[in-house]
Amino acid sequence: MRQDIEHNFVELLQKHQNIVHKICRIYTDNDHAHNDLFQEISIQLWKAFPKFRGDSKFSTWMYRVGLNTAITLYRKSLRNIKSQPIESVAYKLSHEDYDDTKDQQLKLIYEAVKKLNDIDKGIIFLYLESKNYKEISDTLGISEVNARVRMNRIKTKLKTQLNA
Amino acid sequence: MDELELLKKDWEKSTKKYPNLSKEDIYGVISKRSSSIVKWIFIISILEFILWTALSFFGDSNQVLEKIQTYDYGFIYYAVFVISYIVIFVFMYLFYNNYRNIAVTENTKVLMEQILKTRKTVKQYVIYNLSMMVLSIPMGVMMELSNNIETQTLLSDIESKGDNNLFIFYLIIIIVSILAIVVVVALFLGFYYLIYGLLLKRLKKNYKELKTISNLD
Repeated sequence: MRQDIEHNFVELLQKHQNIVHKICRIYTDNDHAHNDLFQEISIQLWKAFPKFRGDSKFSTWMYRVGLNTAITLYRKSLRNIKSQPIESVAYKLSHEDYDDTKDQQLKLIYEAVKKLNDIDKGIIFLYLESKNYKEISDTLGISEVNARVRMNRIKTKLKTQLNA
Repeated sequence: MDELELLKKDWEKSTKKYPNLSKEDIYGVISKRSSSIVKWIFIISILEFILWTALSFFGDSNQVLEKIQTYDYGFIYYAVFVISYIVIFVFMYLFYNNYRNIAVTENTKVLMEQILKTRKTVKQYVIYNLSMMVLSIPMGVMMELSNNIETQTLLSDIESKGDNNLFIFYLIIIIVSILAIVVVVALFLGFYYLIYGLLLKRLKKNYKELKTISNLD
């Protein structure tokens, strides 16, 4: 029985693992930290899996548990705090799309996003994942209006940072 | 182009570039142990319960109880012992209940509140124990002074040697008691501040941020 549940879970997580990788990308600066957070989110998903009733999509449920882990439960290990952030080589545009100006600009945008606080990162992340304000507000526990207002402030914040 | 649009376009495009873990890898990952702050709060709280319960057992040997019962008002102390056990169990129940209610599937704000509530119960338990300890120091001293036969003999000895001697003796006892209370409380508070401060710094900051967003309108 437990084996079946575990098998089912591993299959679902393997299929949707990109969601977890993307959360790790927003919240961490290096490979070590990425793997560490990936592990913690996976463990939390597995622990909470018995409570997953299937009345929401598995991927929707993953966003909530994943972001909660990144924002609230995750404890950066000393090893991760000490290690140097690496260049985000893996995230560069692929060669055929390469455009120096755009790439440079994107790099700056990513850097500006990394400087946001944990909550704003969560809002930006859900926005990038094409979630609507209702879903953003449900995930974080704020009202829809406030999510919208905050998103506008984040946009302004990013613009100011990029034009500074 | 708008910065966010540019970012979104790149974000959607970069999906293919993430590592692709196999099922075997994922089995390995979920078999590891969690190191979340909830787990740490749980471990530290259990250690606190063990520490304080052990301390109350330590001062609670039958010998001490028998001795106390021969004193005036000894029954008060006996009642305090019984009540203190009831209090420990009530706190343990509350803590366990709070801990069980922490659900990573709630929204972020509720999850944070659940964690802070669990932490608050342990904090109240620590404050309760510290207050009991602070109260027990002067009470213990007073009881020894008024009931213990050896102390009584010592007191009359001191009194017979000079008028002011007894006053100085009491003064020293009061100062030593106050110092003991201050040192003990400072040590414990410093210790908790350090442990929970480090553990909950980020959570408190993020909770404050969420509250600010909620107060926008």
